[in-house]
Amino acid sequence: MSEGKALSTWLDNLLTELEGIEIRRKSSRRLRIDVEASALPALLELLRGRASYVHLSAISCVDWPDEAQFELVYHVWSYELQSLVSAHTRIPRKPGVYISVYDIYTPAAFFERDIHEMFGVFFEGSPDMSKFILTEWDGPPPMRKDFDSEAWVNAHFDFQDYNPDWLQEIIAQGGGIAIRPDEQRFSRGPEPTAKGAGNKTVDKGTDER
Amino acid sequence: MRPENYEAQRHPPSNEYELNIGPNHPGIEGNYAFKLRLHGDRVIEGRADAGYLHRGFEKLMEGRLWIQNLAITPRICVPDPVPMEISYCLAVEDLCGLEVPERALWLRVLQAELSRLAAHLFTFGGHAATTGMYTPMFWGIADRDLILDLFEELCGGRVYHIYNIPGGVRRDMPPGFIERVSNTLDYLETRLPDYDNLMFKNLVFVQRARGVGVISQEQALDWAVTGPNLRATGLALDVRRDDPYLIYDQLAFDIPTEDGGDAWSRALVRRKELFESIKIIRQVLAKLPSLPGPIRCPIPNPLAWNVPAGSTYVRMESSKGELAWYVVSNGSEKPYRTHVRGPSQMHAVQVLEKLSIGCRIEDVAQIMFSLDACPPEVDR
Repeated sequence: MSEGKALSTWLDNLLTELEGIEIRRKSSRRLRIDVEASALPALLELLRGRASYVHLSAISCVDWPDEAQFELVYHVWSYELQSLVSAHTRIPRKPGVYISVYDIYTPAAFFERDIHEMFGVFFEGSPDMSKFILTEWDGPPPMRKDFDSEAWVNAHFDFQDYNPDWLQEIIAQGGGIAIRPDEQRFSRGPEPTAKGAGNKTVDKGTDER
Repeated sequence: MRPENYEAQRHPPSNEYELNIGPNHPGIEGNYAFKLRLHGDRVIEGRADAGYLHRGFEKLMEGRLWIQNLAITPRICVPDPVPMEISYCLAVEDLCGLEVPERALWLRVLQAELSRLAAHLFTFGGHAATTGMYTPMFWGIADRDLILDLFEELCGGRVYHIYNIPGGVRRDMPPGFIERVSNTLDYLETRLPDYDNLMFKNLVFVQRARGVGVISQEQALDWAVTGPNLRATGLALDVRRDDPYLIYDQLAFDIPTEDGGDAWSRALVRRKELFESIKIIRQVLAKLPSLPGPIRCPIPNPLAWNVPAGSTYVRMESSKGELAWYVVSNGSEKPYRTHVRGPSQMHAVQVLEKLSIGCRIEDVAQIMFSLDACPPEVDR
């Protein structure tokens, strides 16, 4: 334990070399660092090169439209110190351009490509900014808060009443269970208000219980 | 890749040609495509093409209550769904500061290790099938089914369990469950020598898997390879040991490693992990009767649950590697942002693209299965 503590104070001393960063220790293995966007590459270089944080676990992007900012969070893990540093930085939402850290961490290429696709943040110097998952999507970046997926679905798709021919035949022969249109899940009829209106209408010809 | 959107690339006259593997192909794990550029039967370049399984889970979760999202989480990785549930619950518990009762922690470990067994058996089958051996595939899937039976008994679901909720687990074990788990483990232990004879002493598998898709230690660390794939390069690194969660610090287990870094070593590490998981489950089964306790702590009304504002990053060791959730709450009844980092996001894209260069065409599928890449994790 004492060795671990010595290592963490050594890390704290190392981080004092950088200016304009705010460090918060959340637990013995979790460290949160808030850093200016301009200083983040230097911080990551320091963490990787001199403090053994060789494993880039993930890059997360959070959209804050009220503050007109994107928050980028770089989670790096040190196998030697056994601790995780989450480096938080904020970039303006417009134009949404930032520097790639691909030259420091190779795995950044995947996460930057993903963030570019989902949030529309362009990373300068990233090896590949082409589409990956949403190959046939030409709408706005969908993970942004101002993209309302429900409104988009309502604007582009119709709900169908499910009443295929084979079901009509069965009902005409007096079998099966028929659900009235106003009780169907996606119907646009009046809301059932009477008590018991949600029960299915059972054809008595087949159900003798 | 709809036909109307596909444009064949025009190359200058050469001996090279293109080949699309997937998105629906027996040599691909799940709905995932891999585009190869070939010279003869050597791969010059491989490009991963995802998106066939994209369901927008991260966006969906922003529109649902914290408790409703439990139904979404296991669907992110189909073969190994349990760690997804547990890690999401760990994240919510961390944000709320919930103290989970000890019995629930042990039950979660029981479930997580059973899931690891099931996922490794599944991968065995897939890996063997890519080398032309179908018997291990049938055996692996048949034995996995025994574990799914146990899950069905425990929580009603065979594949998607939704057994965990923030604060604990949904229900306790049925009577006699410990005995039945123990019997299944006994049976699996008698099967392990059969697997050795069938796969690891089989010349077909030895010659096909040795030296294929080699990753060195430096490359593994540089490409963020985790899990059994990292341990196959000789590094005994495991989130269960390095960054303990649940009660893994109270359990005795080894971290098996191999030195080769190739497909053979990766399969062998998984084979050894089967044994370690059985060892862990036996410890859990021995401990559970002495833990009466409740199985979950009281939580607020889940339909009007405002999780305190904050953010957390939770890591876990799934059967495929490091699994992590970044969860942000702004104090409302729905998550503000959830981001899942699955191990296959590295293995199925960058690592696979790099390893496929220079290999033979018939080894591409084997490399993908030996990396245990899970496309639903990439697409989310």
